[in-house]
Amino acid sequence: MGCCCSNEGEPTEPLIPHTIPHPNPVSKPPNGTDWITTNVPSARTDEQALLTSILHKTAQNIIDVSAADSVMMEQHEYMDKARQYSTKLAVLSNSVSQKKALILPSLTSQPHQVLASDLVPYSDVQQVAKIAAYAYSAISQIKVDAKEELVVQFAIP
Amino acid sequence: MTTAALTAGLERIPDQLGYLVISEDGVLASAGELENDEHTAGVMMEMVRTASRFRLQGSADPAFKRMSVILDDFVYTVTVSGQKVFVVKRQNNPHEPLSV
Repeated sequence: MGCCCSNEGEPTEPLIPHTIPHPNPVSKPPNGTDWITTNVPSARTDEQALLTSILHKTAQNIIDVSAADSVMMEQHEYMDKARQYSTKLAVLSNSVSQKKALILPSLTSQPHQVLASDLVPYSDVQQVAKIAAYAYSAISQIKVDAKEELVVQFAIP
Repeated sequence: MTTAALTAGLERIPDQLGYLVISEDGVLASAGELENDEHTAGVMMEMVRTASRFRLQGSADPAFKRMSVILDDFVYTVTVSGQKVFVVKRQNNPHEPLSV
């Protein structure tokens, strides 16, 4: 910006200050140069102030991740964290291995007696087979009675 | 308990056709029709594992002591004790109900 129009008579490129309609054409100085030099600095300060305020607001709303790296941790802090995490892991893996052990629970302390006892009566087996057949038949008759569209379009404005 | 002590009782089960003693690591002992039957061992292990996951409401322990896999001519009876799975194959003599 700055001095751009030395000759008013010549057709000039439309520069920003000229495109802004002046509220009072009469007060426009005869020389465009004067008008520009007197008005641009104030416009520039406004712009600068606006930019600064935008920058300030943005800076307040931003968490700079790359800056976090610069926060130095002492070695003992690293060690503390490492210890803390390994304790947590140990507790978690304990509960996991316990769960695995539970897959084979002890059903009896006298396996031989349990295995040698009488077999399940035939009538009981028949009854269970009948109930299972009823349940299978009931489940196979379950069906979806579709009344409206399962997938609908949300009206996004 | 030694393997011999584990199997001595199984030998005396009436109508038994064979047995398996299985741990998490594999078959510990086998005899009769189930001798070295790794396939049946694997299937029984998976079945008893699945069955023992079922819990009746409000109960922390499995609701059974023995699992029976009933077929026409024979029955596999399965139980778990001391982290070992015992499988005994027994003859099945189903008594047909008398139709009068």
